[in-house]
Amino acid sequence: MLRIFHNTKYDFIKWWKVAAIVTGAFIAIGFASFAVTGGINYSVEFTGGTLVQLKFKQTADAAKIRAALDAAGIKGAEVQQFGAADEYTVRAQDKALVAQQDAGAEKVEDQIRAALSKSLGAETYSVVRTEAIGPKVGEELSRRALLAMVLVSVATLIYLAFRFEWRFGVAAVAATLHDTIVTLAFIKLLHLEVSLTVVAAILTLLGYSMNDTIIIFDRVRENLKTAGRTRLYDVLNRSINDTLPRSIMTHATTFVASLALLLFAGEVIRPFAWVMTFGVVVATFSSIYVAGPVLLWIEAKYPRKASTGAAARTDGSAKRPGAVATR
Amino acid sequence: MNSLRSRLLLIAAAIGLSVFALFPRQTAVREKTPDGSFTETTKRLWPLKYGLDLQGGMHLALEIDESKGAVADKKDALGRALKTVRNRIDQFGVSEPVVQLAGDDRIIVELPGIDDQQRAQDVVQQSAFLQFQIVDKSGALDKALPRLDAAVRSRRLDVSSGAPAADTARPSSATPLSGLLSGDTAKKVTVAASPDSAKAAVGATDSAKRDVNGPMTRLLQAGQVPGQFYVKEIDVPRLTRYLADSAVRAAIPPGKVLRFGADTLAGAPGQGTFREFYVLDSRPIITGEFLTDAKPNSDPLQGGYIVEFEFNAEGGRVFRKETGRHVRDNMAVVLDDRVMTAPTINSAIGRNGQITLGGGTLQDAQDLALVLRAGALPVPLKVAEIRNIGASLGQDSIDKGKRAFGIAIALVIVIMVGYYRFSGGIAVVALGLYIFFTLAALAGFGATLTLPGLAGLVLGVGIAVDANVLIFERIREEMDRGKSARLSIDEGFTHALSAIVDTSVATILSGAVLYQYGTGPVRGFAVTLVVGVAASLFTAIFVTRTLLLLWLDRTGGTKPLSI
Repeated sequence: MLRIFHNTKYDFIKWWKVAAIVTGAFIAIGFASFAVTGGINYSVEFTGGTLVQLKFKQTADAAKIRAALDAAGIKGAEVQQFGAADEYTVRAQDKALVAQQDAGAEKVEDQIRAALSKSLGAETYSVVRTEAIGPKVGEELSRRALLAMVLVSVATLIYLAFRFEWRFGVAAVAATLHDTIVTLAFIKLLHLEVSLTVVAAILTLLGYSMNDTIIIFDRVRENLKTAGRTRLYDVLNRSINDTLPRSIMTHATTFVASLALLLFAGEVIRPFAWVMTFGVVVATFSSIYVAGPVLLWIEAKYPRKASTGAAARTDGSAKRPGAVATR
Repeated sequence: MNSLRSRLLLIAAAIGLSVFALFPRQTAVREKTPDGSFTETTKRLWPLKYGLDLQGGMHLALEIDESKGAVADKKDALGRALKTVRNRIDQFGVSEPVVQLAGDDRIIVELPGIDDQQRAQDVVQQSAFLQFQIVDKSGALDKALPRLDAAVRSRRLDVSSGAPAADTARPSSATPLSGLLSGDTAKKVTVAASPDSAKAAVGATDSAKRDVNGPMTRLLQAGQVPGQFYVKEIDVPRLTRYLADSAVRAAIPPGKVLRFGADTLAGAPGQGTFREFYVLDSRPIITGEFLTDAKPNSDPLQGGYIVEFEFNAEGGRVFRKETGRHVRDNMAVVLDDRVMTAPTINSAIGRNGQITLGGGTLQDAQDLALVLRAGALPVPLKVAEIRNIGASLGQDSIDKGKRAFGIAIALVIVIMVGYYRFSGGIAVVALGLYIFFTLAALAGFGATLTLPGLAGLVLGVGIAVDANVLIFERIREEMDRGKSARLSIDEGFTHALSAIVDTSVATILSGAVLYQYGTGPVRGFAVTLVVGVAASLFTAIFVTRTLLLLWLDRTGGTKPLSI
C-alpha cells in the first residue's frame, strides 16, 4: 500500500505565528491595493453597463479600439485582450453610459458598434458576445448576490452550531471567514472580474472550506475521548497529522479538477476557475492554521469546566461533543 | 449474499433508468430552410438541453417603457404584451423559445440559436401599431407655418445650434429608425422646384406670405401632393427637435398630426437624401386591430416587396365606407407613427389592402407580416437586459469544457489508481457511474446545462471522489489496527459517513441558495452541484461498498485488500 505522510508527527501548530503573518500580509497587500488600483472589478451584471466581446478578422490593437471609442465620445470604456490576439472585450461601466441604458439596454452597445464600424470598418470584426444590463437589473442582481452570500453564510453558521459545540463552531466559522477574505484579496490582486459566476465559486468555496475543518475537528473530538490529560495543543497536532493523508488526497483531486478548468476550459470560465483553484489551497491552509489556533485561543480564554470530569464524555453525538481536556 | 444481490439489482436499476433518460429520442425541431423559412421536423437528439451560453442565442428582459406616458394597470398591460410577444416569437421560427413573465414587471425572452440580434429585438419590440390616416389636403400646415416659425423663434430653438450638435452627429439615435423598415430606398424622386410640384402644392398658393426664411418653413419643401413635404435628411433631427417642443406642438393645426415617412429618398444629384413629411388627419379611419391576416409578397409593379393584409368582416365594412368617402384623397398607411406609403384612393377599398416597403428585403416583409399578424403591442417595451452569445463562442465553450472534463477525469484516475490501487480502481468505476448518473439526472429533470454547470461537472469529478478518499483512509486505519478486511470495510464506511454527510449538506445549502438567487447560467451551476452531490452520495457510498462487498464475496475475505 502506497502511503504519503503516514504517521507523521509534525508540530503544525507551532508555526501558527508565521502562518498568521503570511496570511495577514497577503490580506493587507490585497486590501492596500484598493487604495492604489481602486475597488473590486465588478462585472456589468452588478454595475449595469455593457460588455461586448469582439472577434477581429486579423490581430487587432487595443490602442486602435480605444481610439475608435474615444473618437465617438464613449468615455471610460475598458478595452482588454480576451484570450487570443484577435479577441477583445470592451466594457462600458461609466455612470453616464449606464444611465443611458435605462431607456434601453442596447443603447450603449449600438454606440460601440457604430464607433467601431466607423473607425475600423464593419467587416473587420464581429460581435461574439454581448451583455448589456440596464441599471435597474444591475441593482437587482447585486442585491440578490449579496442576499445569497448572506443566506449561505447564515445557513452555514446554523449548520455548524448544530453540528458542533460552540467552541468548535466559532473556530470553523473563523476559518471560513478567513477563506472568504483571503479569496477577496486574491480576486483584488489578480484584478479578476467579479460576476455572478465568481460569486457562485465563492459560495461553493464556503462549503468546501468548511469540510476540511470538519474532518479535522471530528478527529479532534475522537482523539479527545482517549486523550486523558493530554494538552489540547497536542491533541490538535495529532489530529491534523492523522488526517493529513486524506486532506492531501481530497484536495489533490479537487485541485487537479479545478486546474484542468483553469488551463483548458477557456477564457469565459477562467475567473471562476481561478477562484476555485486558489480556494482549494487556502481551504487546506485555513483548516490547519486558522481553525486550530482559534480553537486553542478560545479554549484558553473560556476553558471547559473541569468539574464535569477530567475524561471526555464518551458519547459522540453531534450535539454534545463535549470532550474535556485542558492542560 | 442476498443483500449483495439486492444491492446489485438496485445499481442495475439505476443504470437502466439512466440509460433510458439519456437515450437519444425523437424531438420536434424547427429547422431553417435555405430560403429562410422554417419547417418542423423530428430528429433523434441527445436529450440534454444546453443553455444559451453553450448553444448560442439571445436572452432579453423587457420592461414597460413609461418614458412616453405612464401606464395605469401595468400588470394587465404586461400580461397582454406577453401574449403578443409570445405570438410573435412563436411565428419567428426559433426552436424552443422561452417567453415568460419574471416577477411582476418583466418579460423574459430566450431565443436559442439567434444570430441576428437587431432583427430579433425589432420583432419583439416593434409596437406594430397600424393606422390608416387621410393626408390633409386643406393646406393646414401652410397656414400654420407662420405661427410655427414664431413658436420656434420664441423658444429660440433655432439659435441653440451649438448644444444639440450631438443630434446631428448621431442622427441614428435622434431618429430611432426601426431597423426593420429603414432599408435605403429604391424610390427616386426629384425634389427640385419643378413647376409640377409647385403647382401640386395647392395649399402654398399664398406664397407671397410665405416666409421662406422662417426656421421651420426653411426646412420644408412642397411635395407632390397636398399635405406632403420633403425634408432634407440632415434636417430631420432638427425638425424632430422643433416638434418635440411644447410651444411648437401647440401651434400645430388642430385635428392634424405631423408624421415622417419611413424611408429616405434620393434627391437630385448633389442634394443628398430626403425624407417625406406628411400632414395627416389625426383620426385614423381604421386601425390594425381589425386585421386578420398579413402575408409578404413581391411587388409585381415596382419590384421590391409588399405585405398584403386582410381585415375581418367588420373592419372591411368600416374600411369600405371610409375609403368610399375619401375617393381621390391620399391615404397614409402609418406604422408606428411612420408613413409607409400614401397612395391615392381610386375607389372604395374592401377587406384587402397592402403596404409597400420602399426598400427592404423579403425578410423585412416577412417580419412585418409577422408582427402585424401577431398584433400590436399594447404598451411600448424597452430592453432592460440583453445577453447575446454567438453560436461559435458557445461551441468553443463546449469543446473546451469537454477537454477540461476529460483531462480532469484522467488526472483523477491517475491519482486514485496510483494511490489506492485496486480500491482506487473501484472508486474510478464509481466515478464513471457518478458522471453517468449526473448527466442522466440532468436530462431526466429537464435541467439545462450551462457553462458554469459544465464547470461544476468538471469540479464534481474532483469532489465526488473525496468521499471515497475519506472512506479508504478510514479503512486503512482500521486495517492498521489489525482488523480483517471485511470488518475494516464495515467500520470504514460507518465512521466516514458523518464527515461525508457534512460535506454534502454544506454543498446542498450553497446550491439551493444559488438556485434561488442566481440567473440562468448560475442556476445551471447550482443544479449540477446539487444533482452531483446526490449522485456522488449514491456512487461513493453505495456503489463502492457494493463493489467491495462483491470483492469480499469472490475472494471469501481471505486475501488482503489492495487499498
